[in-house]
Amino acid sequence: MNQLADKMGTMNVGPGYGYNSQGGTNIPTVALMGVAPRVLDLDMPPPAINLPANSSITDSLHANCDPSYKRSTLNAIPATSQLLQKSRLPFGLVITPYRSVKEGDDPVPVVTDSIIARCRRCRTYINPFVRFVEGGQRWKCNMCYTLNEVPSSFDYDSLTQQPVDRWQRKELNHAVVEYIAPTEYMVRPPQPLVHLFVIDVSYPSVQCGMLATAATTILESLDRIPDDEGRTKVGIITVDSSIHFYNLNTRSGEPQMLVVSDLEDPFLPQPQDLLCNLKECRPTLENLLNRLNDMFKDTQAIGNALGPALQSAHKLISPIGGKILCLQATLPNLGGGALKVREDPKLLGTSKESTLLQAGSSFYKTLAIDCSKTQVCVDMFLFGSHYSDVATLSCLPRYTGGNTFFYPAFTAAKSEDALKFAHELAEFLSQRIALEAVMRVRASKGLRMSAFFGNFFVRSTDLLSLPNVPRDQSYSIEVSFEDNLTIPTVCFQTALLHTSSYGERRIRVLTLALPVTNSLADLYQSADQVAITTLLASKAVERGMSAKLDDARDALTNKCVDILGVYKTHLTASSSGATPNLQLSDNLKLLPLLTLGMLKHVALRGGSQIPSDLRSYAMHLFSTLPSQCLIPYIHPRFYSLHNMPENCGTIGANGIEMPITMNLSSERLERSGLFLLEDSQNIFLWLGRDAVPQLCMDLFGVPNCESVRGGKTTLPVLESDFNRRVNLIVGKTREMRRTSYYPQVYVIKDDGDPALRLWFLSHLIEDRAEPMMSYHQFLGYLKDRVNSY
Amino acid sequence: MSAEAMVFLFGVIVGACLLFVKVFFVILISDLEVDYINPIELCNKLNQFVLPEMCVHAFMTSIFLLGGQWIATAWNLPLVAYNANKIMNNKHMFDATEIFRTLGQHKKECFIKLGFYLLSFFYYLYRMILALVNDS
Repeated sequence: MNQLADKMGTMNVGPGYGYNSQGGTNIPTVALMGVAPRVLDLDMPPPAINLPANSSITDSLHANCDPSYKRSTLNAIPATSQLLQKSRLPFGLVITPYRSVKEGDDPVPVVTDSIIARCRRCRTYINPFVRFVEGGQRWKCNMCYTLNEVPSSFDYDSLTQQPVDRWQRKELNHAVVEYIAPTEYMVRPPQPLVHLFVIDVSYPSVQCGMLATAATTILESLDRIPDDEGRTKVGIITVDSSIHFYNLNTRSGEPQMLVVSDLEDPFLPQPQDLLCNLKECRPTLENLLNRLNDMFKDTQAIGNALGPALQSAHKLISPIGGKILCLQATLPNLGGGALKVREDPKLLGTSKESTLLQAGSSFYKTLAIDCSKTQVCVDMFLFGSHYSDVATLSCLPRYTGGNTFFYPAFTAAKSEDALKFAHELAEFLSQRIALEAVMRVRASKGLRMSAFFGNFFVRSTDLLSLPNVPRDQSYSIEVSFEDNLTIPTVCFQTALLHTSSYGERRIRVLTLALPVTNSLADLYQSADQVAITTLLASKAVERGMSAKLDDARDALTNKCVDILGVYKTHLTASSSGATPNLQLSDNLKLLPLLTLGMLKHVALRGGSQIPSDLRSYAMHLFSTLPSQCLIPYIHPRFYSLHNMPENCGTIGANGIEMPITMNLSSERLERSGLFLLEDSQNIFLWLGRDAVPQLCMDLFGVPNCESVRGGKTTLPVLESDFNRRVNLIVGKTREMRRTSYYPQVYVIKDDGDPALRLWFLSHLIEDRAEPMMSYHQFLGYLKDRVNSY
Repeated sequence: MSAEAMVFLFGVIVGACLLFVKVFFVILISDLEVDYINPIELCNKLNQFVLPEMCVHAFMTSIFLLGGQWIATAWNLPLVAYNANKIMNNKHMFDATEIFRTLGQHKKECFIKLGFYLLSFFYYLYRMILALVNDS
């Protein structure tokens, strides 16, 4: 009876909702069941933004924001909150304001004349979607519709006394621009770049080779640390059961070590010279880094006082602000912030598991708040042979705009481990980051930013404070309705006020304009599955940490059911009764697969097999990776190498040609084949048990399959054509994600180590893996739920 | 003055104090919403009062219990239990990093407690006057 009433309800939708009541629509719809999902379409650009004609005042191609900077989950905005509610689609923004600009990318245009036109009421920056009125004397803000004066310097340059063409201005032609900010935007002179290393020198750290690798890497990267104006400052603190400071400004060029063993009330042994100008103290610093490993190589100290060390590090750099890089190989066990081994296998897989994913001590959260206040960012490099409490230690980066790197079971004796860490640290040090930043997202009247996800501190209802903005970190923001929209287009503007590593105060402005629609069909047709997945991943992590992992998984599944259900009832002909197949619009067709990928991912998967460290780290990546990295992290790329076409792995018109992505199903594996699977953090080479000796010879330089060593490997560089091509493909996968992560190569042999093999197979998400469903079972389950919807 | 009147006089004074504390909470929380105060300051200010408020309330309840005022005790016990539960789960403090996510909850709780203290205040006042009238 109820069902019937529901059906009747859907028949009577108002005229505004287009085709729904007729049942049939002209959305390109695909049936999901019975066919393999087209994984190639994961790389498709988001649905087109169909703005009304003449929305932008210039016809520049860059008038609207590029999806790599900012994308919306819906490229057409519902006019009313009821429509959004009815569609069940998540509404939010995925922002990567400080993405890296590699060769071939357009650099961000810079407005150098410090004329910043902003709306006097809502403080929106002038952008390509405003209107000039009254003969160009005034401009009408596109957020709040206030009239503002156009600055006279838009048309007349008083310096050269020449008229200028306002249409040439970058802020009217580009959606992504940077302004050089005048002094009104500063509370103090722009800070210099500061790197303070806090290095663990206790026995486990020396033993696993972390100290030696770190010292060498820092030494070799000194030239790469941005230092354009010679203002960059560097300091080193080492810590075991006491805290060691180094005076880097000695006359003799010999670093002077100062030991503080008072952990209750750590103090700075001297007021200056612990933090030194990189250029001035360079010889002393090199001297210290060269000797660092020898100084501690015979240490027996097993204590580590990270908490007090971080407190004094904070004290040291808080007058300037900057970055604390913390390299930690043991669980801190002395002084404030001492941690216990909390891992309890009995809790894993139960509803209590989330307690292990929450911070075990409030010390680090409190410290993070203090750091955020003083523009100090903490980055964590964690190395653990045992439990490292990633959950607690990653609190610091989470609230200070930092980043966490985790190297489980790190031993520098394995050259692959050392290489990965050295590469990532060197990349990280050479990044041109932004400092002392605040970010605000403004939207047209009626919309409100309601929840924020990512690494930052929320300072007011719409202001995020980021002591550092690392490159390529992504932030998700959920948007909600305050009022219905009566305008044809809405606009989202993100402003990131920051100090660049060149020591300039700058404002980066990203403007995204989107059309408003009244039709549910438009909404579905313009939904961006990649952005939706990114937003849902952040929300699921949030839920998993604060409540239960079960809740997080249920929320993901329910969202998928809702979307499929709404699509079925309102947008397909078979709106009533059970359907033989699930249908979804073409642009959303991979959402069920990506949902399954999230459910099966280490970050959210059920079961008692996943140590909480690994889970915490995966959760950290879920909420910070930019889309181009997160999507392969959830749905790895899978290629068959043994039978790839001739041109793959050679340099073609668009760089290195890649093989075709395959479905993540073990049906694709062949006993005699070689496959590559890549999830943006690791690269797996799967070698079948019947692989021909020639293939082993060509690729690994060994006579047969048995002699190939499984596990972490560095691919040899050989003369053979096949080896060169595979090496090129591996190299390309390492660089195409545009982040500082350096995926390691694992060779997985079909008849090799079962644990490795299982790990590899767990990435094949279309397969059944007890107790998780296969893709087809999952669709069947969704269908049952949708039919009773 | 009888013991009963004394107990309720004490209740009236404490009730008024609690009422003021809650009004202060509500004002600060609405300040946060309109961005007059930043979350770190807000939490520092509010957290000073959280434990004292709970202790004073528990102390008042125990005075009612000792004074043999069963209705007043029963009226206050649920709140004592609720507060104790919060302290045990370590959820009683305001967390600056989570404040915007939990603002709705905090606000709701503040208003409910405000109403509760207001009702209590008038009840104690009424009982105090009643006791004083009976005395004379």
